[in-house]
Order: sequence, then C-alpha cells, then structure tokens
Amino acid sequence: MKSLLKNILFHSKSTTQVILSTIGAFIGMLALLFSVLLLNDIKSFQNSDDDLLSSNSVIIQKKVTKFTTIGLNSTEFTADDIEELKQKEFIEKVAAFQSANYGVGISEYPNDGLPSFYADLFFQSIPDEFIDVETNWNWNEDSEFVPIILPRDFLMLINYGIAESQGMPQISEDLLAVARLKIHMNGKNKRGKITGKVVGFSQKISSVLVPESFLNYSNNLYGSSNVKLPQRLFLKVKKGSHGQLESLMDDMNLDIKKSALDLSKIKTFVSVIILVFLIFAILIILLSILGFVQYIQLLLNKSKQDIVILNRIGYKFETLLKVMLIHFSKVFIVISSIASVTVLSVKFLLINPLLQKNGIEVANNQIGLCLIVVLFCIIGFVLLNYQSIKLTLKKINN
Amino acid sequence: MKIEFKSIMPHPLKDSEQAEHSIWGNNYEWESPQKIVLNAVSGKGKSTFIGLLSGVRTDFEGNLFINNRNTKEFSNQDWAELRVTSISTVYQDLQLFLELTILENLQVKNNLTNHFSEEKLVQLIDKVGLTAHASKKCNLLSLGQQQRVAILRALCQPFKILLMDEPFSHLDTANEAIIVEILKTELDANQAGLIITTLGEKPAINFNNEIVI
Repeated sequence: MKSLLKNILFHSKSTTQVILSTIGAFIGMLALLFSVLLLNDIKSFQNSDDDLLSSNSVIIQKKVTKFTTIGLNSTEFTADDIEELKQKEFIEKVAAFQSANYGVGISEYPNDGLPSFYADLFFQSIPDEFIDVETNWNWNEDSEFVPIILPRDFLMLINYGIAESQGMPQISEDLLAVARLKIHMNGKNKRGKITGKVVGFSQKISSVLVPESFLNYSNNLYGSSNVKLPQRLFLKVKKGSHGQLESLMDDMNLDIKKSALDLSKIKTFVSVIILVFLIFAILIILLSILGFVQYIQLLLNKSKQDIVILNRIGYKFETLLKVMLIHFSKVFIVISSIASVTVLSVKFLLINPLLQKNGIEVANNQIGLCLIVVLFCIIGFVLLNYQSIKLTLKKINN
Repeated sequence: MKIEFKSIMPHPLKDSEQAEHSIWGNNYEWESPQKIVLNAVSGKGKSTFIGLLSGVRTDFEGNLFINNRNTKEFSNQDWAELRVTSISTVYQDLQLFLELTILENLQVKNNLTNHFSEEKLVQLIDKVGLTAHASKKCNLLSLGQQQRVAILRALCQPFKILLMDEPFSHLDTANEAIIVEILKTELDANQAGLIITTLGEKPAINFNNEIVI
C-alpha cells in the first residue's frame, strides 16, 4: 500500500531539490557535530582545573616600589581596598591570602627517601573553594599529617636550580608526595614540630598552602598577636573581563602574573570563536531543515490534486501525513547517520591524535554527545515537518 | 443507512428559480437500499447533489443528516471513514490517478479496504473488457475506458449507498449493459442503495423513485 501511495505522493518530486536539501542537511549536520564536539573538548580541557570557559582566577598583589622598600607605602590590602574590589562588576569573588604569623621550617624524615635538608618557609591559606588541586584538604588536631600544596614552579626551582648548583639529588613529584616532612614552628617563645605531607602541586598559586583550619590553629599557638593584613588576594573575574582587569591594575598599582592575563585573553578568544562557529552551525542546520520543509510543502502542493483524490476515495489525511513524515524522517536519519560516522571518524582518527600529541586531553563522551545532538536534530526535524505537513494538508482540504 | 435533506439550498443555486417539488429547499429522505435516479438538464445541481452526499461540497444552507447525524459536525476524518465503509462514489470527472495503471488505480482503493482479492480485481478488469490495457497508465486510455475503471474502483469497498454522477456518459450500449450487470450484483451483495444522475435515458435498473431537481 505504501509504495503505491509513495508513487502518487512523490511522482512530481524534483531530484535536484532533493539533492540540494540533502547536501545542505549533510553540511549542516557536519558543522553542528564538529562544533559541538570541539566545544566539548575545549570545555573539558583542564589546565589544573582551569576551565577555559569558566570564570578566570587571578592572584593580585600591590607593586613593590622603591617607596615600599624605605617604608613609605605598604603592599597590604586594607578592608577598604578589599571592599572596593568586591564592588567591581566584573569581579565575582575576592579571597585574601591568610599568612602564618610565626617562623616555619621544614626538613626531611630520615629513611623516607628525601635527601637531608632544612629550609625556611612560609605558610599561607586561601578558602578551600579556590584550591585548584583535587585532594583531601581537611585537617584537624587528630589528623595524621598536615596536607601541603606546593607551587609547581617550586619543584622546578629545586630540581633545575638548587639541586644542580648545590650538588643535591633531584626529587620527583611522586617521591615528594609519599615522603613525610617535618614542619618546625616557632613563635611566642615556643617551638613545635608536626608531620606534613605534600598532597599536590598548584599550577596557579605561587604559595605554600596549608588548610585554613591548620593555619588558624598554629597561628593561635605560635603566631604573634599583631594582626597582619593580607598582601595577596585571589580574584575570580568574569569571562572576557581582561580589559577591565588591566585598567584596574593600572588604577590600583597592582601586580599580576602576566601569563594569567594572557591565558584569560586566549580563553575569551577561543570561546568566542567556537561559539560563533556553533551559532553558524545551528543556523546552517536550521536552514537545511527549513529547506526540507519548503521542499515537502512544494511537493504537497504539486500533488494537491492527487491528495484530494486520495481523500475522496477514503484516505485519511493522517495516513498521508504519516507516509510523508516517515519517508522524509528516514532520509534525514540516513543523512544524520552518515554525518555522525564521518564526524566521529575524522575526530577519532585525525583530530584526537593531533590534540593528544600536543598534550591536550580530549573529552571521553564524544559518541554519546554526538548521538544526543543527532537525536535532538531528528526530533526537531520530525516536529517541524509534522506541523508543516499538517498545515499544508489542512490548507489543501479547505 | 438513512439520509435526510432538511431545506438544503446550495449556495450557487440560491438565486435560481426552483420547481415546486424540487429537492432544493424542501425536505427529502432516503433509506438504503432504495435506488433513485436524478434525471435533469445541465445546471440543475445534479453534481452538487452527489457532492453534498459524498462530503465533497459543504457550501449549502439547511441541514444534511446521515444516520441521524448532522454532517456539519463531520470532520474530514469522519468523511474519510464513511468513504471506506458506507458511501462509494463515481465522480463525473472520474478522479483517477492518471499516472497509475488500471490495476494500480483499483489497488489504491482496494488496499485500503481489502474488499476484493487480487484475482477478483483481474476478473473485474476482464469483465469490462480492459485486460489488454490493464498495465497501461490511465492517461493513455479513452474516456470510456477511464469511466469503466472509475466504476470498478467504486466497487472496491463495502458500501450502503453508491453515488454515481453521469457514469455512462462515455459508454456504448454494450459496455453499459456489462457495467449494469456488475452493478446489480454488487448492489445485491452489499444490500446497498443507489443514487445515479443521468442526462438522458435511465439505465436498465429497477429504480424505486426519481428525484426532481
């Protein structure tokens, strides 16, 4: 029954228009799937939890000038300074670095694999939400050890600077992560030792970090009573606000890691390009679906007389709608499937190896995402054409 | 099956003068298996009458009831249902699919109703003398041949009323006789009624009545 019906309904089809609509839908689907998959890659691309599309985080401090050196100005941030920063529209969060008010030194535990050493250090802490290392960051007085996060640059400095110049063996990340450290604390005429362990390395925070709970505890025990104002602040700024951040730096005489600002610019640039590409892809797929809608309408209008006859001999419009919709949905599903296979093949065989070769991790849910996008497009296609065919048949009936 | 005309006046005939006992503007009732003939000159509304009963035309005043239901409440789906189960029509302009063959034209209808077997369709084509043309597209047939196909197609369904709008206008006497025999058989088989319009002589069927329009 269906093949006879198709003969009647599609006998005036235009092959050129079918081919053009098919090519349009195929290109649209390719562009859409590529842009969604690439956007997903970029979104999941982690640079030490530094999500390219999330808000940007930067650490700021006041510039040290010759007046600072002779004590005429201070690099501390007052409560007013912090409040002023919080009022800025492009700044989402401000967190102060809390510092230890006592002397700190670390040394090795014998037989834990580290060479014998002693180094004076400083401890700082920031609220947990700003920590860019995934680890168990809790401490209380019953804890076995104090977790410590070191700046990644610190290890580089030891291995490729101090170790080389002083004839010390180099230390691997893994070794440092398993070896215990003795933390020596002194202040308020007291001395104390506690065990510490490096639990991670931070890419963006150039401080030796300990949990806030430990810093409060140790400051109470050993810290001087003078309350120190913070000298460094951690800011989370909105995407694409590097311009405002640069102006703020000039206005408040602030210092910032240049690389952080550059990364912020790159993040904004890449995000904008991918989003523009995605918008174009959505437009292309919409246009191609509309191309199909228009073609089906044209076909229906060309077959108007035959549709009227079919209805007059007892065919319900619902039956005709179903035949048309199933036929064109099958065509669209075939186009979408071929486009998906093409995109996934290119992605897995060409793009992924290229990204991985350059040290960029790719998202691992690509097939699932591809299927979701395709399913979404098919549902859109079916709904749009269902409405369009129904409307055209209604017009024919009237 | 029961059909009632209640003061029906088609819009195109509103301003023209009607005979005293004309069906237009008066009440009329039909019940299956009555066989009725409408014999009138052109322009009196014979095709309009068939169009109203088959649901093709809705441009009229008054009320038309089919099985006690006002057709103004009918949806397109309701009409489609009736056109498969109760009302079969041979239109004056035949309404064939000219790109399809004779057999395919019958199959389009029969596939919907499963009324006849494939063999029966072939037999019917043979009976009306079209076997040699069975696989020809209808646009290659003469009007008389097309008329026979349209009549056969109308029989490919169960029906309670067969509406025929000038069905023999292009048929010779011999072919008309063959068709009339087939019609009689199918009308009996379906225990159905007939409403037929003609311009000239009435076909050789025992009609119960004649409608004046």
